[in-house]
Amino acid sequence: MTVLEVKNLTHTYSGNTPFINDAVSRVSFSAQKGEIIGIIGHTGSGKSTLVQHLNGLLKPTEGEVFVDGENIWDNPKEIRKIRSKVGLVFQYPEYQLFEETVYADIAFGPKNMGIAGDELKKRVLDTCRLIGVKDEYLEKSPFDLSGGEKRRVAIAGVMAMKPEVIVFDEPTAGLDPAGRESVMKIIHDYRQAVGATVIIISHSMEDMALLADKLLVMNKGSLEMFDTAENVFLKGDRLREIGLNVPIVTRVFYELKAAGIPVPDNVFTVKRAVEVLKGIKAGERGA
Amino acid sequence: MDSIISVRNVTYEYREEETVYAAVKDLSLEIERGSFTVILGHNGSGKSTLAKMLNGLNKPTSGDVLVDGINTKDESTEIEVKRKVGMVFQNPDNQIIASIVEEDVAFGPENLGLEPSEIRRRVDNALKAVDMYDFRESTPHRLSGGQKQRIAIAGIMAMEPECLVLDEPTAMLDPKGRAEIISTLHRLNSDKGITIVLITHYMEEAENADRVIVMNDGKIIADNVPKVIFSDVKTLKSVGLDVPQTAELLYSLKENGFPVDTHALSVKEAAAEIIKAMRSEE
Amino acid sequence: MLKDITFGQYYESRSLIHRTDPRLKTVLLIALIVFIFLAKNALSMGLSVLFVLSVMAVSKVPVKLYLKNMKAILPVLIFTGIINLFYGEGETLVSFWKLEITTGGIYRAVFMMVRITLLIFLSSALTYTTTPNDLTDAIESLLSPLRFVGLKSAVHTLAMMMTIALRFIPTLIEEAEKIMNAQKARGADLENGKLTERVKALIPILIPLLISSVRRAYELAEAMECRCYNGGEGRTRMKQMHIKPRDFAVLAVCAVVCGGIITLNIMF
Repeated sequence: MTVLEVKNLTHTYSGNTPFINDAVSRVSFSAQKGEIIGIIGHTGSGKSTLVQHLNGLLKPTEGEVFVDGENIWDNPKEIRKIRSKVGLVFQYPEYQLFEETVYADIAFGPKNMGIAGDELKKRVLDTCRLIGVKDEYLEKSPFDLSGGEKRRVAIAGVMAMKPEVIVFDEPTAGLDPAGRESVMKIIHDYRQAVGATVIIISHSMEDMALLADKLLVMNKGSLEMFDTAENVFLKGDRLREIGLNVPIVTRVFYELKAAGIPVPDNVFTVKRAVEVLKGIKAGERGA
Repeated sequence: MDSIISVRNVTYEYREEETVYAAVKDLSLEIERGSFTVILGHNGSGKSTLAKMLNGLNKPTSGDVLVDGINTKDESTEIEVKRKVGMVFQNPDNQIIASIVEEDVAFGPENLGLEPSEIRRRVDNALKAVDMYDFRESTPHRLSGGQKQRIAIAGIMAMEPECLVLDEPTAMLDPKGRAEIISTLHRLNSDKGITIVLITHYMEEAENADRVIVMNDGKIIADNVPKVIFSDVKTLKSVGLDVPQTAELLYSLKENGFPVDTHALSVKEAAAEIIKAMRSEE
Repeated sequence: MLKDITFGQYYESRSLIHRTDPRLKTVLLIALIVFIFLAKNALSMGLSVLFVLSVMAVSKVPVKLYLKNMKAILPVLIFTGIINLFYGEGETLVSFWKLEITTGGIYRAVFMMVRITLLIFLSSALTYTTTPNDLTDAIESLLSPLRFVGLKSAVHTLAMMMTIALRFIPTLIEEAEKIMNAQKARGADLENGKLTERVKALIPILIPLLISSVRRAYELAEAMECRCYNGGEGRTRMKQMHIKPRDFAVLAVCAVVCGGIITLNIMF
């Protein structure tokens, strides 16, 4: 089922100032329920501009965005409603925390959606349970938490709105491996619980190979590829041309292939790499 | 060993209300002049606290830090220590003071009270050393993260320090910016003989270092050349560090009975190691 | 959009105006504004207009940047024009209620609007062609006589504060925009509602902005300390401002224009 559809989206920055911009031209793609889509592209390729259209923070210069089959700009006065359907978590979201308690901060989003009373309390508590924020944290100030915990609470603030599509701009930037793992886990848990579509902007091809069903590759404001992660990573030469790359393990396998070892081209994760090499070894022994 | 920095039995304690928390615990360390040292550790391992002690920004609670023989506790030589050991931080935006690149780079030497012509010479040299000379009249605000961070490095280089300490200089950069910074640091080290102490949690940035120190819980838990450090994937993971995918791959292969040497780090080395292993039983 | 504000936005180029000594430019700006306000007939005003247009042309700054600054002041300009319409003598053209528009009024209104426009264009010419730092240095240097009355460190502190403020304004604007977007993504309504509601809606933006500014200030202080800053004691400057031959030429041209305005005022 198509949840989100972008048609011919173009955004040129107004003002015509000679200053930097991050325009987008003629991008079309659609996302199915429950899918994980990775967005890759180097800095300035239009990724951030693109995702800010998905929840109506930016209005397309041309083209349309459909959520659940409805053009989100049909009724511009109601644009705020779309933000509970498409959640957007910015880079370093902990910088948006402002309330006195963790509870109040997580409640900010649902409250803006008009949810109140017991329903609001339930929303907040459910979200906390889902992402593993302990009850004793709820009355703490969010500013007393550690870096990784702040990030989780900030993400919870968006998840509490229960969006059916949730977009993350480099959700693990600046975290250490333990912090990264816990953020990836809550994204996974949320998707499981709500059946949401997840869109992630990332610089890590290794993470994308592990996570994404589909990859959307941006280059100079245009959609370069939109395909399964496997098909995208098979086009390693093109990715390199536009300043991107394939996962490191894939690069190792290019070398193996060049040395005459009969490895396939579609090895993108360590797990698969080990299986492939084991297979070859077993085959040799059998022969 | 000719040490530029000696850290002797240093402990650093933070006081937060009633509780005292030791970020660095009885740590000793010598940094050799002209070397490239990487200090690895996860957030909260004490690596940033240690970094700030290397140029006297933090003073040890107990123990001593000597820079070229000068104790950082001595207030009369504070400027001298900061001139010898320059420091670059994580967020380039918060280190740039002026609105024009070359004026920002001039800030340090201006504080040292140098002659205008000498400042000019140092600013030009510093900008050339980080490959940002062509941007000398630009506004830092318009530059990319990697470029801004190189300006911050130039700002320190213009004081002509002997040692550069960098506290997670790549944490906020994209892969391109990260690569720019690491190659700049290697160039400064090999061409100008600047001692580099790079603090990071990205292991692959330690690939070409002379020495890697791993910190955990305020202590040094490993100190060796990169290859030896990286082959111990288990320990690195246990202290919450990122392991490059090549090391991860070799480690998994070894666990699955492949006769590979886990020392290899680069893509080429790792591939060579696997090719050797694949052919060994033929 | 917030980022459209061009306050303190230097436009890079190497025109004659860019290279003129910033102290001279600052003093000349003040002098020229005085003379433009003294111009009282069509000829002297014509000379002023011609001069300002030449300055704009020589500055190599795109006209649209000048016009952009104009846009902000437009309501004030129109208001001034309308008010002046009713203060004049001469032949009555239109009259209604107790007000009448006269030829003199129209003349006055046009003059006042032209003067304000020229004032904006000239000040923009200064800010577009002078880096904020140069401007700060110029002000520091022009204020330096104050050191004789024991205000030396006060002048330095003021200049340092201006430098840092100018450096961080674009950064903070960008940050404010990011936080606004993040809170809007959480359903915050910043555009609608009563005044009190809208003021309240600013809290989720101001608090994070304040916290991040404090963090920036702390980090900046450490970075400055690492670059041997100790309050400006014994500090020298890389860029020494020297009056060059071309500065005398610029001064001469401006003097001729000022003289011209006065002469035309007297003669006609």
